Amino acid sequence: MQSSAATFRQNRWGRPVFLAALMLICVWTACSSSSFFVFADNDTPLRETARKLAERIAAIPGLREPLRLEWHPDEKWPEGEGARWAEILRDAFDRRALQLSDDAAVPVLAVYAAETQTQVVLTAKTHIGERDEIRIITIPRSSLPPAELPVAPVRLERELLYENPDRILDATSFPDASDIGLAVLLYKNFEVTAIHVDAKGGIKQALPLNVAGLKPTRDPHADLTLHGTGGSVQLWGKQCDFSWESPGDVKCRPEKLNASSNSTSPDDAVLVSPCDETNWTITQPDSEPTVRAVLRLVPDGATQGSSATLTSEFPGPVLNINPEPNPSGALIVVRNLHTGNYEVHKITLACAD
Amino acid sequence: MRSTKLRWLAPISAALAFLAGSFSLSAAPRYGGTLHVQLRASGVLLDPREWTAASLSAAESQKVASLLYDRLISLDDYGKFQPALATEWTHDSAAKNWQFKLRAGVRFSDGSPLTPAHAAAALQATLGNNFEVSATDTGLNIHAIHPVPDLLEQLASGRNFIFRVQTDGTLLGTGPFFVAESVAAAPLEANPLAIKPARIKLQANENCWAGRPFVDFVEVTLGEPALRQLYDLQIGKADIAEIAPDLVRKARQEGIRTWSSAPLILVALRFDDGLTAPAADQLREAFGLAMDRDTMANVLLQRQAQPAAALLPHWLTGYAFLFESPMNLERARELRASLPSGEAGAGQALRLHVEPSGDLFKLLGERVAVNARQANLMVQVTGPGNASSASASAAGLRLFAWRYDSLSPRANLEAMLRQMPDGTELPANASDSEQLFAQERRMLEERRILPLVVLPEYVGIRSSVRNWNASAWGDWRLADVWLESPDRDHSKSAGEAQTQNSMAHNPGAKP
Repeated sequence: MQSSAATFRQNRWGRPVFLAALMLICVWTACSSSSFFVFADNDTPLRETARKLAERIAAIPGLREPLRLEWHPDEKWPEGEGARWAEILRDAFDRRALQLSDDAAVPVLAVYAAETQTQVVLTAKTHIGERDEIRIITIPRSSLPPAELPVAPVRLERELLYENPDRILDATSFPDASDIGLAVLLYKNFEVTAIHVDAKGGIKQALPLNVAGLKPTRDPHADLTLHGTGGSVQLWGKQCDFSWESPGDVKCRPEKLNASSNSTSPDDAVLVSPCDETNWTITQPDSEPTVRAVLRLVPDGATQGSSATLTSEFPGPVLNINPEPNPSGALIVVRNLHTGNYEVHKITLACAD
Repeated sequence: MRSTKLRWLAPISAALAFLAGSFSLSAAPRYGGTLHVQLRASGVLLDPREWTAASLSAAESQKVASLLYDRLISLDDYGKFQPALATEWTHDSAAKNWQFKLRAGVRFSDGSPLTPAHAAAALQATLGNNFEVSATDTGLNIHAIHPVPDLLEQLASGRNFIFRVQTDGTLLGTGPFFVAESVAAAPLEANPLAIKPARIKLQANENCWAGRPFVDFVEVTLGEPALRQLYDLQIGKADIAEIAPDLVRKARQEGIRTWSSAPLILVALRFDDGLTAPAADQLREAFGLAMDRDTMANVLLQRQAQPAAALLPHWLTGYAFLFESPMNLERARELRASLPSGEAGAGQALRLHVEPSGDLFKLLGERVAVNARQANLMVQVTGPGNASSASASAAGLRLFAWRYDSLSPRANLEAMLRQMPDGTELPANASDSEQLFAQERRMLEERRILPLVVLPEYVGIRSSVRNWNASAWGDWRLADVWLESPDRDHSKSAGEAQTQNSMAHNPGAKP
């Protein structure tokens, strides 16, 4: 009977719990699919494209193997991107049993990669008898993972915490040391959403702010401040307070619109060295967006051109900087001009070894 | 010692900074001011239905039209399609039936609401008869006769704007600006021989669905001669102006900030019908081998152009490098020697009609004649001034400029095919890159069109213009541009009086 009762309890509770768990997994998966995470294996589209090209090459009538592979990546690609494609292509040819050789006497199989406005075009060319055989495969650029970026060669630690194709208005760490996640403010299709990102980059909670009467702007900017179990968001013309615990309870009130005011930059951000507690001011040359943005950290008393400065490179313009609870660190929100994604980086001053 | 004394201050200042919130490093955009833009065209057509496909004039008109009208979608710089007037879209597996959901609450610049019926009517007119566009409750259905996997590329470019035709026949848009004033070109009062150029004043649409643009007005001046534009940039009378390719080097030497697009304009030769085969084939091949494209690009155009061997540019297809156009004068002479003596180009001069106006194209036409003569081919050049004369209609050869106006390689090739005398059509199944490549190769092998060079568009930008973020395909995105000193009135700049006196417009100097 006891076992019957246990079974009954399991039957009674087991299904809802299982369904709830399943729903949770589905929600988590849905949330995860809308953003990229740094450590995910994103090479699948590349591998699929390489596989299709290998199939098309293998089907060329009269193809004589082995072939000598000549790889011509897009000139604009960073070195690592070309190397990644080359490795994937070789693997795909290998899986399709296309024999490759380094022997200069064997026919050449030239593979070119070119990026157009919307696609990456892979073109394979080989010469058989009197004719050139051309095979072309394309893949939408939007389906490719971002290229890996070189790490700045400076003793300033930089870590990519989170990225998203939608605009990141602001990002901040939780003041409570027990929560090592991030709060990120996203702006998509003229709607603002606060998300709680966990330490692995996964979305723990998404909280649409549903701000009524928010005027569309070409210069969306916001200030997110966390306190207690919620936070407040300063938007253009609106100030909203929210709570992570009661997502439906978002309170917004009109705020004096300052989007059109010709304000100047506020004071520069300051990091504190953990080694000698000196102040390091973060500055950025005020210029038009370029492919790489440089942040310069200048210690107290030094000039910007001084050899004492530290620099950190980012793949696009720095949109804002938020101080961290740890005074040696700051969060940097950046627009990556290579992928178009918005990124949150953490920079931390560390003692040189 | 100082750092030791102040050590306790550091954590406090950091903590204060943390509490104060975020810092912004770049200057905030500024609202207001008038952006002065100069275009070379003497007039623009604000009705996309009237544009001639792939023409230079249509490209100029599009620059103004893109400030007045929006498209369903846009393409960003990272290969991603972004919602504009459409917020969502889907299609069937054959890519023949597409559904678009229209953004709610969008209004035309006169405050009237945009409806699916307006959008359907506009797109039906611009997409043409191969499409059936119908309105639904919340959006649009687009049915295509053939598969169109590249419909998004087409909708994000070219003339596929959304507009409403008003009772007087003019168009109304939902874009960031509306036409506030339009002034036609007229003789100057002080000097009736000089012409005051046409001008269009656009005013910011305060209720634009995508947000108000930063500048209050965009004033577009039309038909300024190329040198005058350069001068106006220097003295601050123009904020943004087109720069002719042969003046780019001069502009840079004079410290003007310049921007260039991807190569957008193909300059090529097209043979008219009327030449008898097989002599025509030999003549075309001889011409192709005689052309010195490197000299045209590097000397005549001062390295501001690229030699072209393909009909479509590499940035659009990714495979243009597969085509070659080597120069071989010896073989060209052999082919010329085998032509019948009465054939055009051999016994009698072949007329080369230069279609586009401007010194640049005239120079290129003359260079074609020089190259032809080196292969003993006789060519007589006629300019656009002779367009209506008998010489133009009887021309055996035309030099033309083709401005790529779609982000779809297929749409560009299709438009090019339609210009051929026999009206060849692209096979319905030519939807993937390999089939398009095969079609382009066939066209090049026929040699009805001989590509010469491809040119980017060049723009001069004053340093006070911020957030210039034009697309590689020539969309200037002026709604996002702001002025560093919006309060400054450029039209009252010190140099203006001097300019008007010393560089009064001469009708004869217009391109």
